[in-house]
Amino acid sequence: MASTIKRDSMESGSQRRSSRQNFETWSWLFMRLSGIVLFFLALVHFFIMHIMHDVTTTTVAFVAARWSNPLWRVFDWLLLALGLLHGTNGLRYIMDDYVRSPIKRMIVKATVYGVSGVLFFIGTLTIVTFK
Amino acid sequence: MSPSSTMYKGKTGQWAFVLHRITGFLVFMFILLHIVDVSTLNSPHIYNSIHKLYGNVFLRLFEVGLLFALLYHALNGLRVVMIDFFPRAIKNEKGVFMFMLSLAVVMTLIGAVFILKPFVTGKV
Repeated sequence: MASTIKRDSMESGSQRRSSRQNFETWSWLFMRLSGIVLFFLALVHFFIMHIMHDVTTTTVAFVAARWSNPLWRVFDWLLLALGLLHGTNGLRYIMDDYVRSPIKRMIVKATVYGVSGVLFFIGTLTIVTFK
Repeated sequence: MSPSSTMYKGKTGQWAFVLHRITGFLVFMFILLHIVDVSTLNSPHIYNSIHKLYGNVFLRLFEVGLLFALLYHALNGLRVVMIDFFPRAIKNEKGVFMFMLSLAVVMTLIGAVFILKPFVTGKV
């Protein structure tokens, strides 16, 4: 696939087109690599928080005990960051496929990227400031 | 490469793709909600009452649905990675899809026992 992209961009000779295709190759690779990492992070998280412990017992005191170990904060922050990036990029594919009008697409994308950015900030703040 | 040759057409691969997209979308929507509910940690009263709400039977069923979406997306994602990185390793693409789907269903059913048990035994 990568070789096809390179050949196409050389034939078209357009710099803009080739940088866009280069971005999509990195995006494709990122989805595979982050997916493999998330496979473990998300399933371990679900197993501990929903199977080993009941959802009603994961109270503030429970989280305080868990986050007293900074490694769990790192684990949860990685899950937050990779989950949001992987999910936002996945939503970008969906928006490109189904929102065809350029103006609507711009509005929808700006909204999605804005919400993801704000939630990344809120999530990071929660993990860092909780005592 | 013509556009049609790069599109998923028919058979198992297409259904795997459609289900991958739907489950990915649903998991992402839950993550957005989940970040908001966890952000109330610094107001313990609000956080604890939200988590009491999660113990409700309807939200427990929702939790089982989330587990299936997560398992399917994770296992089928692994199948996609295998096809992309090691094309020769997968000779029976349909068989691998059916295996991943069955594994997701079985693991969801096992998880459902744990998630729904406190409600059935009347502990919640």
